[in-house]
Amino acid sequence: MAPSHLPPGFRRIWRRELRQIATRPALAFMLVPLPLILFLVLAVVFAPGLPRDLPVAVVDLDGSTMSHQIVRMADASADVEVVEQLATLSEARQALVSQRAYAILMIPADMEHDLLLGQRPEVVVFSNSQFLTAGGIVGRSLSATVSTFSAGVSLRLLEGRGIGTDRAMDLITPIPVQQSPLFNPSLDYIQFLLSAVMPTIMQIFICAAAVLSFSRERHSPNGMARLLRVSKTPSRAIFGKLLPYTFIGTFVLLLGDVLMFSFFGASFRGNVFVFFLNGFMFILTCQALGALIALIAKDTTGALGMMGLIVAPSFGFAGVSFPRFGMTAFSQIWGAIIPLTPYLQLRTDQTLRGTPLEYSLPTMAWLFAQLVVFSALLWLMARKTMTQSPAVADEPTVETAEAAQ
Amino acid sequence: MTKLKHFLAEVLGALRSLMADDSAKSTMIVGILIYSVLYPQPYVGEVLRDVPVVVIDQDNSSASREFVREIDVTEWVDVTISAPDMETARDAFYRRDVYGIVVIPAGFEADILASRPAPVAAYSDGSYLLIYSNVMRAVATVAGTMGAGVNYARLTSLGVDDGVARTMLSPIAVTNVAVFNPQGGYASYVIPAAFVLILQQTLLMGIGLLHAGRSLPSGRKLWATITAYFVLYMIWVAFTQMTIPYLYSIPRTGDLVTLFMIAIPFICACMAMGFAIAMAIPWREGVVFLLVVIGMPLFFLSGISWPVEMIPEHLRALSLLVPSSTAISAFVAVDQMGASAQDVAGAIQTQVALAVVYTIAAVALSRLPRNRAKALH
Repeated sequence: MAPSHLPPGFRRIWRRELRQIATRPALAFMLVPLPLILFLVLAVVFAPGLPRDLPVAVVDLDGSTMSHQIVRMADASADVEVVEQLATLSEARQALVSQRAYAILMIPADMEHDLLLGQRPEVVVFSNSQFLTAGGIVGRSLSATVSTFSAGVSLRLLEGRGIGTDRAMDLITPIPVQQSPLFNPSLDYIQFLLSAVMPTIMQIFICAAAVLSFSRERHSPNGMARLLRVSKTPSRAIFGKLLPYTFIGTFVLLLGDVLMFSFFGASFRGNVFVFFLNGFMFILTCQALGALIALIAKDTTGALGMMGLIVAPSFGFAGVSFPRFGMTAFSQIWGAIIPLTPYLQLRTDQTLRGTPLEYSLPTMAWLFAQLVVFSALLWLMARKTMTQSPAVADEPTVETAEAAQ
Repeated sequence: MTKLKHFLAEVLGALRSLMADDSAKSTMIVGILIYSVLYPQPYVGEVLRDVPVVVIDQDNSSASREFVREIDVTEWVDVTISAPDMETARDAFYRRDVYGIVVIPAGFEADILASRPAPVAAYSDGSYLLIYSNVMRAVATVAGTMGAGVNYARLTSLGVDDGVARTMLSPIAVTNVAVFNPQGGYASYVIPAAFVLILQQTLLMGIGLLHAGRSLPSGRKLWATITAYFVLYMIWVAFTQMTIPYLYSIPRTGDLVTLFMIAIPFICACMAMGFAIAMAIPWREGVVFLLVVIGMPLFFLSGISWPVEMIPEHLRALSLLVPSSTAISAFVAVDQMGASAQDVAGAIQTQVALAVVYTIAAVALSRLPRNRAKALH
């Protein structure tokens, strides 16, 4: 290692860490370009915001003017595109299984005939609920189409009885429901999924960067003792080593948010300062967690593995897709100790919901508590490993050879 | 016979060296076991029930109280608070004590009695789609049922015949049948798919951990190593696709032979890709890092949670280079939807092609001076 001109302490560690990043192009690539590439890929995936023109198949056993009209109406709706007309239900099942269609619209034989006789024919929508998103969207869309058609017929029948149009309309929907999707009026997947997925991926990056940084010291012989020599105190070592990644992480997270809020026009109704503070605390907490794992684990890959095990399933535990209040106690507790959970909650509060600040204070305290606990544990572990390092020094086996490469 | 015995001994040797490597063991064995316990936990409830909502009943009549009661009775929501005004309701909403607000305006009952439309309003958070749809479903269903009752009474009072009134108001019956996952369970939807990705990622990682930056074993030993991983992962296929669904009561209809018709080429493609990555990235930690971070984006490219039709063509084409992009939905089709090999023929072909391409890539990369030089040490 090149001799440093700086005296031991924070600045020396900071410089040393920057040099370590600079001399490892693969690591540098994984810190900045890779998360940005993944952001872009996800942005491209979710760019439409809402699934449109999803393929469905029709089994029209009636073949009447009315059934044709229903099919045309279904096709005209934004969510659905009728891609196939099939003769039998078993062919339709085949279309579902081979994923050529997400749903089947089945119009029974003699529908028009029965309808005119007032026999209430039954139109069936088979939707593939194994694909929950797509199947749900097409299922709802097709049912709505048939209901609209049915309401039209109903209107004509009532008018035929001499009931005026307005009055007939009132009769059809006596209790109209005004449905208001707050904060995300178009039920857009960018606001729902993408804005939660990006921080989830950042959490992995930030933790992993901290793991690698601390594993470089912890899992090379005498590394922690050397770290203490050039830093003087555990806190200086921790700050000096982690701060470069704090800046990098903040920068990348901000770029992702710029993409979200300017390019995709996601709404921002919250407090900018709190939003930044939240992001910053989140990054620090992830770093403390990552570094702590590195100090606990036996070797670098073991540390990365342990981190992966904790962090990779965190999206589910954070309650974005399936809400936390519907989970078991174990899942709620597990979710509560992962930085992503309070971060995302506060993020939703301070971007979409525009929650008044006082309601966000408990969530902030929650994230802050995580930060304090992880940092304290990290400091304790750092001090412990720094002072006991000579004992570790007498096992420089395979790891040394690899570290030297 | 002795040849076979030797080979089997080498296969066991490869498994032993896998077990001897702590990182590989914790990825390829312990990791999968831990995942099988941990990963499904958020979803074991399957269906979201009893979303807490607040009701603002400004009418406070017997009709409005009935409406509230009916909402509360549905499995979708649970009326936990009754608020006097929007202020109180909003407070509970911001605190996340409730996730929906239902407003029954004053004059609700009077409107019904006077045969005027009696609107109600429902608010929920549009950024949590599952919650939102529960709240709306409860309110719309109750409004529909109550409305139908009101209507029926109105028409019959106009002298319209019983049955005629019914057909006039809803001349066509619409039935929505959810197939393959009848209760729309979240675990049934996400777990079978996620474990295909977990198999791929742990296999790629394990091979990376055992072989990145190291020389490949030669000849028979290489074949024994490949056989060892193959056998191990066939066991994992059976475990993740059959035991896990069984443990979490996820219905599965798949046929075992068909399952292995997709699983065998898939595992082969993953192994070939694993060796190609191990030869391309000589840095073990780098391989693990890369695989951990790309897991989630890969899931979104699989078509399970976001329809493949919405993914731009070029990106979709590029994503086919990763086995999971086609394999996940094929596994799901076979296991959960009872697809035949013919139904997933496209995915099987893709896996075979990937296995060939990555084998060629791995062989070519292993001849790089970097990977050969190591072999001499």
